[in-house]
Amino acid sequence: MAAKIRGVLIDLSGTIHIENTVIPGSIQALKRLRQTGVAIRFVTNTTKESKDTLLKRLTNIGFDIKAEEVFTSLTAARRLVDHRQLRPLLLLGSDAQQDFKGVDVSSPNAVVVGLAPDCFDYEMLNKAFRLLLDGCPLIAIHKVRYYKRGDGLALGPGPFVTALEFASDVKAEVVGKPQPSFFAHALSEMGCDMQSTIMIGDDARDDIGGAEAIGIKGFLVQTGKYRDGDENRLEKPPFAVCRDFAAAVEQICTML
Amino acid sequence: MAAGTIREEDGRPTWLCRKIHGILLDISGVLYNSGGDGGSTIPGSVEAVEKLKAAGYKVRFCTNEDQCTRQGLVDKLGNLGFNLSASEILSPCPIGRKLIEERKLRPYLLIHPSGLLEFNGLDCNEPNCVLIGGAEELFTYENMNGAFRVLLDSDDPVLMATGYGRYYKSGSDLKLDIGPFTKALEFACDVKAEIIGKPAASFFLGALEDINISPEDVSIEAVMIGDDIVSDVGGAQACNIRGVQVRTGKFRTQDEKHPTVKPDGYVDNLAAAVDLILKYN
Repeated sequence: MAAKIRGVLIDLSGTIHIENTVIPGSIQALKRLRQTGVAIRFVTNTTKESKDTLLKRLTNIGFDIKAEEVFTSLTAARRLVDHRQLRPLLLLGSDAQQDFKGVDVSSPNAVVVGLAPDCFDYEMLNKAFRLLLDGCPLIAIHKVRYYKRGDGLALGPGPFVTALEFASDVKAEVVGKPQPSFFAHALSEMGCDMQSTIMIGDDARDDIGGAEAIGIKGFLVQTGKYRDGDENRLEKPPFAVCRDFAAAVEQICTML
Repeated sequence: MAAGTIREEDGRPTWLCRKIHGILLDISGVLYNSGGDGGSTIPGSVEAVEKLKAAGYKVRFCTNEDQCTRQGLVDKLGNLGFNLSASEILSPCPIGRKLIEERKLRPYLLIHPSGLLEFNGLDCNEPNCVLIGGAEELFTYENMNGAFRVLLDSDDPVLMATGYGRYYKSGSDLKLDIGPFTKALEFACDVKAEIIGKPAASFFLGALEDINISPEDVSIEAVMIGDDIVSDVGGAQACNIRGVQVRTGKFRTQDEKHPTVKPDGYVDNLAAAVDLILKYN
């Protein structure tokens, strides 16, 4: 009765690894999933890491993942910038800027905001604000409120994007999860439709809520940033809640 | 004809169809333009203030200035030729201090160093509330994080802001005001800020009380003259105070098409407003 599963989208941080640690069983589970022949893409809201850095990290800890399988919010922003031939003012960390190599940033006519503690100061925000007031578009990598760093929680890009939106009356175009366009692009690359695709992730709102909103089946894993009861805070409950990535793969193998 | 309404006659602006007794004036953009070395007087404003006072009007200067003390502002305006006293100025820092003391809070103050003087002597250890003002260069990532953590660690987070303005003009540049930074903290912590300066109703009602005008009157006998369509004009109108927009300071012609705020009147500058008041009121 249910549509046959042909594609699986997988979140990275908190789902198969946390920084340089593999979430136990994930390497084996990924191998097993590949053997089934389903299409696989990795979708992640990168904040400060370029795709290269991310791939190196994953390879170093033992994952077999190819560059063309990874979709990050930074590469989505890059695609948008290229497509519209924009010259962005980049409020991005230095590593994240690598994903914008070769982009013309002279006399900017757009503003791109990621997680950039070094750029979130009065002078830089004023510069961005004046561009927006002149009618330039505002592109947000994502709108996460805060994140965890060594000394505790710290402000993410969301609050600063909101500040710029409020100041200039310009609505940001958000490119990362949970934007439907982000998932849709990954699907079109895989050649899958919503009904035959699964999303596995630890973020109830951005991974699962975002996927379910466009008809992708959400598998919430209880690792990473998952907190007890996250599945109950969603408008629509996840298709499945699994102990971890390995358990999710096991369940998926029964659906093929 | 309703009681207190004066018959229309040639040239009388509608905002002077009813008698006014109290006059609230914004400072920056109405008396002077800020920027560089002390700013510059808006032509005619010094004389206009003198004329109002000479005619016996109750005048209060309503400002969201939080980058100096009231006395500092008096001195600055004195250098430009204005003769004001601190007691005629209503500004958010003293109001914030009063609220903090009344509620026995310990503030994390994210404001300009010169504005800090208004908070001398307050206990700021282990802060349990945030007061944010026009901190300018002090709006660093780490300072914003400090404020964020105080709010996140609090069971009942209290965020006060001296204003909610989006931007202002300094010299020839537009700069971000407090509003965007307040909004950032609101978004990060899911809190609603308590605005203590304009356009908060509490601010305007406090100003009326200061000049003994009852805020219960449906047709309050007061006018607010300012350059900010939302903070000055809209804020005053929400308290039944007539709001008059000057075409000086941060005024931009687009303001005349504002989607929600329609001023009771427009004047080219303060001098023109005062001439009308003295002629028709």
